[in-house]
Amino acid sequence: MKDSLRWSYALNQWNLRLDAFVRHEDQQRALKTVSACGFDHIELASGTGRWDNISRPEVILLNHGSHQGFLDFLRTAKVQGVSSMFWDPQAPAEEEEGYAFRSTANPADSDAIVEWAKPFVDFVAGVGAEQLVVRPVGSAWMSPPLGEDGIKLVGEVWNRIGELTSAAGIGLALHYDCLGAVHTADELRGLLSATDPATVGFALDTAELTVGGIDPVAFYRENAERVTHVHLKDTRYADTGEEYRMPGAEATMLKGGAGRRIERWFFELGTEGGLVDVPAFVAALRENDYPGWVVVESDHGGNPAELAMLNSWYLQRVLGVTK
Amino acid sequence: MSERKIKWSYMDHWRSNGPSGPVDQWHSHKTMSAFLKQVKAVGFDAIDTFDFRIWQMYGDYGGPAKYQEMVQDHGLERIVNTFHAADYDPRNYAPHIPETHENILEDFRVTMGRWSEIELDNIIVMPATLYYDMEPITEDKLKHTAELWNKVGEITAGYGVRLTCHHEFFCGIQSEPDIDTFYSYTDPEVVSLFVDTAQHCIAGLDPVALYNRHAHRVSGFHFKDTHNRATGDDHRHRPDSEIMAPTTGKWFYEMGTDQGLVDFRATMTAVRDNGYTGWISVEHDKANKEGGDYSESTAISRWYAKNVLEEIYR
Repeated sequence: MKDSLRWSYALNQWNLRLDAFVRHEDQQRALKTVSACGFDHIELASGTGRWDNISRPEVILLNHGSHQGFLDFLRTAKVQGVSSMFWDPQAPAEEEEGYAFRSTANPADSDAIVEWAKPFVDFVAGVGAEQLVVRPVGSAWMSPPLGEDGIKLVGEVWNRIGELTSAAGIGLALHYDCLGAVHTADELRGLLSATDPATVGFALDTAELTVGGIDPVAFYRENAERVTHVHLKDTRYADTGEEYRMPGAEATMLKGGAGRRIERWFFELGTEGGLVDVPAFVAALRENDYPGWVVVESDHGGNPAELAMLNSWYLQRVLGVTK
Repeated sequence: MSERKIKWSYMDHWRSNGPSGPVDQWHSHKTMSAFLKQVKAVGFDAIDTFDFRIWQMYGDYGGPAKYQEMVQDHGLERIVNTFHAADYDPRNYAPHIPETHENILEDFRVTMGRWSEIELDNIIVMPATLYYDMEPITEDKLKHTAELWNKVGEITAGYGVRLTCHHEFFCGIQSEPDIDTFYSYTDPEVVSLFVDTAQHCIAGLDPVALYNRHAHRVSGFHFKDTHNRATGDDHRHRPDSEIMAPTTGKWFYEMGTDQGLVDFRATMTAVRDNGYTGWISVEHDKANKEGGDYSESTAISRWYAKNVLEEIYR
């Protein structure tokens, strides 16, 4: 995209389960699709195991030999680079983690989580990406409310990792999601206050904030200086009854319809009945000379290629971005 | 930036999965809008369509002109070509049978009137019946067929539309000598050739050589690929060998496919060297067979056009 904003596309939509997105030719098809849609950078999402060969630093390097080898692989499809990589330390993983379930809310886990961050920091820096985007805390339904002190403990872990990312010359961006234990606007403000603005930024996801009941445009305007990364997608629904606290909310709310028969939460830009005011949000980014990446994301909304193409059309025809 | 010599149109085969199951883009205004958005997003300039869609254009959109307005509202230039997919029948509609010609001519008089509210470049026909309805292919049959299309070409020319022939591998005129004989009897002023790269490959022809021989009367292309050539009696299966040939479950692939038989670099070089300017149509019909996906194939074909073919000629 030829624009003052920098646009990237998230590949997570293609990787729906462990063995679905493994063959290099399938990955090349996805990369060419993204490229044909006008995006020349991608965001990777962390995974685990030997099947996740585009999601796990050590497996990517085993497959492609080096950071440069991986970049060469992307460039075969005319994708020039990686904008960012998403990592959730709460997600179970083999490799170093050995399927240990840890949480940033548990001080006893802090050292291990900081250690686990290192391969991601090295990889993000190694491929010339800009941001390590992280899930700052686990799901709300899994633990009692954090409270102010709990949020501070979470912030301390990320401050330590922020020192690592800064030393590596990359950014660290805390990503809000609608199930997270940091849920309300005040809790989110608390987490931002508990972290060092010099080393820890905020990854604003327009749909996740909207589902969580936070207006992304207003929150961006209030916190523009902390926003170092953006995920742009739409939703037709908001959590209207503290559904994020449902036991097993990943399955019962996001995949199970939240008791309201909601079959799908996330939608392409321009969807009918979308709750995100995308033009207003992008206008706010432009007004603030937002310098980071804007990652367009489909996030398990439907057919990956179709959604990438619909998102590209919206950027070109509604937002006036030249491909 | 200088004016492009080549623009890209998309031939509107499409399937997607909706809440009611698999549908094509004509299912609703919403699915049509999604189709047009996707085609535009990856850089196509226009679309081609089928003749039999004209009823949906009238019924769902108010006619070809109104439908074209919708196409244009999505950022595409226009409808470039229409494919006249006739249901050939030796009893009443068969180009090699002179007794059926008046019926065919009347069909085109009516058809061209229906399309006259928009500007088309080509009306594309399969110039012969299915192979099994025409064989044995004789010079007389080729001559009768040519006589028909000369007359049809005059009718379409009266509407400013070029008549152009598209040789499916299962139609009566698909071999190299039969194609050459057929064109020797047709008037280049009113009967053109529309080169479908995959169809010719499947029939065992070299599409580049065919194009070079007839370049002066080539009025368009379907750029698509195939992995297989027809063998045995692949071209003789009812109702349609594209679907029923026993050797091959999926004939067509998007440009850039691994193991593709079409040499697109050579084809594009020939397009350049013959000084062709105008539209190239991209097609990959039945792309969804055997796990394929129309959206992805469309994006990848346009990726290939941009990153490989436009490096040769644009």
